[in-house]
Amino acid sequence: MHVLEVQSLQKSYRSSGKVVEAVRDVSFSISAQEVLAFLGPNGAGKTTTIKMIAGLIVPDRGSVDIAGRDPHRNSRALRSLGAVLEGNRNIYWRLTPEENLEYFGVLRGLSGRVARQRARGLLDRFELSHKRKTTVQTLSRGMQQKLAIAVALIHEPQLLLLDEPTLGLDVEATQTVKQLVREIAQEGRAILLTTHQLDLAEELSDRVAIINKGKIVAQENTADLIRQFSGMVYQIELEEEINRSFLEVLGRERVANLQSLGAILDGDRIYVRETELLYQALEILNPLAIARIEKDQANLTDIFLKFIREEHHA
Amino acid sequence: MLELFIAQLKWSSIQYRRYASEAIGGVIALTATFYGLFLSASYIGGGGVQFGDRLDSVIVGYVLWSLVIFIMGGIPGTLQREAQVGTLEQLFISPFNATQILLFRAIGDLIIQTFLISIVLFVIMLTTGRWLSFSPALILPFISVVLGAYGIAFAAGGLALIFKSIQQLLGIFNFALLFLLTIPTESWSGTQKLLGWILPMTTGAGLLRDLMARSQSLNLSLLGLALANGLIYFAIGITLFRWAERETKRRGKLAGY
Repeated sequence: MHVLEVQSLQKSYRSSGKVVEAVRDVSFSISAQEVLAFLGPNGAGKTTTIKMIAGLIVPDRGSVDIAGRDPHRNSRALRSLGAVLEGNRNIYWRLTPEENLEYFGVLRGLSGRVARQRARGLLDRFELSHKRKTTVQTLSRGMQQKLAIAVALIHEPQLLLLDEPTLGLDVEATQTVKQLVREIAQEGRAILLTTHQLDLAEELSDRVAIINKGKIVAQENTADLIRQFSGMVYQIELEEEINRSFLEVLGRERVANLQSLGAILDGDRIYVRETELLYQALEILNPLAIARIEKDQANLTDIFLKFIREEHHA
Repeated sequence: MLELFIAQLKWSSIQYRRYASEAIGGVIALTATFYGLFLSASYIGGGGVQFGDRLDSVIVGYVLWSLVIFIMGGIPGTLQREAQVGTLEQLFISPFNATQILLFRAIGDLIIQTFLISIVLFVIMLTTGRWLSFSPALILPFISVVLGAYGIAFAAGGLALIFKSIQQLLGIFNFALLFLLTIPTESWSGTQKLLGWILPMTTGAGLLRDLMARSQSLNLSLLGLALANGLIYFAIGITLFRWAERETKRRGKLAGY
C-alpha cells in the first residue's frame, strides 16, 4: 500500500519573459516503512516537487495522493503529512521545545490535551526533556533540528518529508538524525529524504530517485542500483615487502600466468575479472601473503554523478 | 476550532510575556499618550480623530484609532515576520486553512493589546482620580468597525503574499484610515449618504460619534447598516486573501520574501 503517490507532476514558471520548466512529468511512490532518497543537483526541481506534495505549490498538471487524499483538494490530507523544510527554521525560536510541540500539535488538528501528552513523549524520545523549558534559540543546531523533526511527528503522520535534514549539522548530530530517520521508518512511516550527503542517502534509503533538470533520470532500489553499477572486478593487494619491487615479489612465471588469465597488474595491485578467475589467480599467488581482496563497489556518489553528467552531455 | 483559538491566544501571550521589553515600549507609548489625553482632554496624539471634547469621547476615539491601526497591520505583519523567521510554510501545512489560523492569531493579539490598554487606562484613572464612564452600547458599533478593519487587514495580507513588501502601501492605508474614521458621513445627505454607507468603517465610526460626542441614543437601523458594512468588508477581505493565497501557491512564491 503506497502512502504517497505522485503522478506526472508538472510545473513551469515564467521568469523574465521565459518559461522555465521546473518539474517535468515526475512520478514516484513511497510505501510505509520505506525511505526514498530524492536526489538531484541544486535547481533540479527537488524543492518544487516537495512543496507540491505539501500543498504549498499548485502543480500545472499531475496529482499528489497522500494516504488516499489529494492535499490540493482536501486539506485533511495534511493530517497525514509532516515536513521539515530546507532553508526554514520550521519551529519558533522564541518558544521552548514544549511550547513548539504543543502549538504545532493543535495546528495539525490534535486537541490541547493530546498535544501535551505527545509532546512529553517526544521530548523523552528525542532526549530533549532536560531542555523542555529552554527557548529554542539557545539550543545547539543539532537539538534544534531534532526538535524540528519531533514537531513534524507530533500528529503521527504517515508521510514525513525531510528536506536536507542534516544540513549544517556536526558529525555527532548527523549520526543522531540518521538513527532517528531509521527508527521513524521502522515505525511504519514513509519518508521522502532529500540530501546532498550521498553517503547518508546510500545508508538510509531503500530506493533512490534522481532528478535532473526537472526530470527523473533514475529510479531504482538503492542496493540494486549500486549492484548494477558495480563491476565484477576484484582487486587483490599483496603484503608489501621491504626492499623488493612488486614484480620481484611475484616472479616472472607468476606474472605470465596471471596475464594469461587476463589479469591486469597496475602498480602494486592485481585486477581480476569474474569470480572463477579470482580463485585461479589466488592459486597462482599461493603462498604469497595477501593483504586485501576487494570487489570493486560503486557508490551512490559515482552513480549520481554519472547520471547528472550523462544528462549534461545529452 | 476552540482548541486552535486557545492555542493561538496562548501563543500570543507567550510572545508578549517572554519579550516583555518589546511590549514595555508599547506600554510606555500608550501610557504617555493617555496621560497626555487626561491632562488636556481636547488634545489628541498625532492630530488624530476628533470625537468631541469630553475626555471619555477622546479616549474612545484614540483607542479605536490605535486598535484599528493595530488590526490593519496585523495580518501582513504576521505574514512577513513568519516568512522572516522561517515558519510561514509550516502554518500553511495544516488541516486548518491559513485564514482561520491568521484570524485567530490576530484576535489573540487584539485581546492582549486591549488587555494592555485597559490596564494602562485603569492605572491612569487610579492615579489621576478622573474616572471615565463608557456606555455598553458602544460595543456593537465598535465591533462593526473592527470587522471592517479585519477585512482590510486580510486584503492587505493578500497584497503582502503577492507583492511581498508592502510597508509603503500600509503607510497609505493608515492615511486613508484617518479619512475613513473622521469623515462626518452621518451629516451627509442624498447620494453622499449612500456613499457614506458604502465606505468601510465610516458608518460605525459615525455611530460612535453620535453616542459619545452628541449623546444620542443608539440608532438601530444605522447599527444594522454598520454591522452589514463591517461583515461585507470582512467577507471581501477574506475572499481577496484566499484568492491571493491560491495565486501565490500557483506562482510558487509563498515563502519567498
